[in-house]
Amino acid sequence: MSDPRERIRVSARLREGALGLLPILGLVGIWQAVVSLGLAPPALLPAPGTVLARCLAQFANPEFLGHAGATLSRLAVGFLAALVLGVGIGILAAASPGVLAVVRPLVRVLAPVPKVALYPAFILTLGFADASKIALVVADAVFPILLATLQGAAMVEPKLVWAARAAGTSPRAALLRVVLPATLPSILTGARIGLVVSCIVVFLAEMITSTDGLGYLLVRAARSFQTVDMFVPLIAISGLGLLLNGALGLARGRLLRGFPEEG
Amino acid sequence: MRRLPAGLPPLLALAGLLAAWEVASRFLALDGLPSVPATLAALPDLVADPDFARNLLASLRRMATGFCLALALALPAGLAMGRSRTVAALLNPLTMMVYPVPKAALMPLIMLWLGVGDLAKTLVIVLGVSLPVLYHAYQGARAVEEKMLWSAAAMGLSGPARAARVVLPAALPEILVGCRTGIVLALITMATSEMIARQSGIGAVLFNALDLAQYETVYAIILVIGALGVGLDVLFEGARARLVGWAGPPPALAPASA
Amino acid sequence: MSALAVPRAAGAPAAAPQIAIEGLSKAFRRRDGTLHAALSEIALDVAEGEFVSILGPSGCGKSTLLYIVGGFVAPSAGAVRVGGAPVTGPGPDRGPVFQEFALFPWKTVLGNVAYGLRAQGVPRREAEARARALVAQVGLSGFEAFYPKELSGGMKQRVALARTLAYDPAILLMDEPFGALDAHTRTRLQNDLLALWERDRKTVLFVTHGVDEAVFLSDRVVVMTRSPGRIRAVVDIDLPRPRHRAELLLNPRYQRHVIALEGMLEDGDGPRPGGRP
Repeated sequence: MSDPRERIRVSARLREGALGLLPILGLVGIWQAVVSLGLAPPALLPAPGTVLARCLAQFANPEFLGHAGATLSRLAVGFLAALVLGVGIGILAAASPGVLAVVRPLVRVLAPVPKVALYPAFILTLGFADASKIALVVADAVFPILLATLQGAAMVEPKLVWAARAAGTSPRAALLRVVLPATLPSILTGARIGLVVSCIVVFLAEMITSTDGLGYLLVRAARSFQTVDMFVPLIAISGLGLLLNGALGLARGRLLRGFPEEG
Repeated sequence: MRRLPAGLPPLLALAGLLAAWEVASRFLALDGLPSVPATLAALPDLVADPDFARNLLASLRRMATGFCLALALALPAGLAMGRSRTVAALLNPLTMMVYPVPKAALMPLIMLWLGVGDLAKTLVIVLGVSLPVLYHAYQGARAVEEKMLWSAAAMGLSGPARAARVVLPAALPEILVGCRTGIVLALITMATSEMIARQSGIGAVLFNALDLAQYETVYAIILVIGALGVGLDVLFEGARARLVGWAGPPPALAPASA
Repeated sequence: MSALAVPRAAGAPAAAPQIAIEGLSKAFRRRDGTLHAALSEIALDVAEGEFVSILGPSGCGKSTLLYIVGGFVAPSAGAVRVGGAPVTGPGPDRGPVFQEFALFPWKTVLGNVAYGLRAQGVPRREAEARARALVAQVGLSGFEAFYPKELSGGMKQRVALARTLAYDPAILLMDEPFGALDAHTRTRLQNDLLALWERDRKTVLFVTHGVDEAVFLSDRVVVMTRSPGRIRAVVDIDLPRPRHRAELLLNPRYQRHVIALEGMLEDGDGPRPGGRP
């Protein structure tokens, strides 16, 4: 901190952070102004203060937390399954031209398909309960992770593998001990996209058919025109996304200590 | 080993998927999983149905409008973020906050304000497409080499001319990655918002068929939406190859989702 | 490998070579499907403890030859025998050192150097102790906990060398190891490598396009031509050891070798039919 250059950098960082708050505060300000000037009836647009108060109340409410928990558990199960599948298939495809020859065209066909369209099929085959929602999360989150893994594994410097093989590592062990760690930066980028996608998809699935979860709360509030309660689940899912993204960012920082910084 | 024609492996993959579906429907014998021939038989009726065609066209119109509006808004903003630290600092936190919000989930609120018409559905699509376009335009403009701009300035190009004639083309490959994600997102947001609002459009038709237990129709619509996704992607990839052939092969497949 | 130790007659390879390359050819398929002959009919014997450089212009297949000896790339025809056994894949008897360093970015200096020992089942504590000694030996004490990205090019190459030396290969396969370094660092590393080799007398196959580097380091220099890569000449470097750069530069025999080899490289470096793939 005593280094003057360090101080200048910190103050620049602070200034940029303050700059970033401006549009957010501006939006809230416009929102407040619209309400204060009576441009929108409170039934359609409650005041920011009202929404904030309801958020704080709900975040301590066990029933609300139960719904948030349901969303979080579906999200976590789906995301982790997508991570295991995407990384597993990606690394296998990197190791075997045969697997790659099967995986690549499948991805070409399936990746651009809007997965929500598959949701009715999941409902019909897996039922209305958790399984179909988790399946949708997996279907949506697996492709960014798989694509990132494929791309990253294809760019692993072959000489890294050679160096390990010469040191006595078997081809299969080299896959786990060299290809996988060398692909990690790419995998984590894919995982980050997959995580946000999971957040979005689980919420949408709960909105379309559900009896619990944050998405259900939004639909329930919309049906009874409780506008304030419609804001709360939206703010909650945004907060959840930011929180999980932050956690992934921390994990990334630890896992990628040795890798050169990206752009 | 001889090389297979480029289009063949995806077709084989499609055939494999259909075969897997057929096997699953025979072995599971679920009501909710009709056989492939039964589904394919439902396709002609579906496509010939004027009501379905009307809904599909309405969906596509909203999608195209939303996509173009998003492009017009997000592209300049993204390029400005890439070339100015101040603009980037200004907009970054806001985009971070909005990123994990499911745009289609804003449907109920927006419907409350704007009614159930085209306006609400198009606005949701604009919101959904804007973020990836913004992000990729930002990344693309940020990566433009400073020395390229110096050379352009030395040749006497003014600021706006540099933006249009150096930054834009140099960032184009990355921008197109964003557009590709944007197209798939437009399709997804469109279908989802219709599933939630259930007024018109292909997403609404899909869930109405589900409610009426017309399972063959449900699967036929899924096939149509899937084909739409793949078709748009193939078209876009063709256009991309023409526009930025100089930038080499595509940077893998754009991880498009949500 | 020590069972194969044969006293070497001066200037010529011993009767039972440690590396025997016979009738070796390698062709790559180009993008358009045609074949590109990278190596053609290579025959070369290297005795145990010998320092042999492979000298040639870029694109002459000299690195490919090294990769085939390493077992990383399969030949199209011919065979390589090491210690009498045919090469079928990589093994800890042949340790590579690459121009690109190829250090594991997720491991520290110590982790990189200990990697080979851990791969061969040496317990962590012992592997790290031995790695620590090697790190000291290449002059990097104090940098054990650094990641490769925090090191200069010369330091990275020292780590790469230590990583390979750690599992004690009988043969070092060096692929333009100093090619990515600045002139000053390159000179220092050449001196250090020579000192190391004069102590351990490992067999070294050293790929380079630097004439003075080849002459300074080697017992023999194999000169290659391009398209397809063939051996043009094998030159014995009859300079006394231990060698010191300052003395060599004034030595007329050193100067004659350098001039002769440069002449050979220039002859073989005319316009190429077809260009590089």
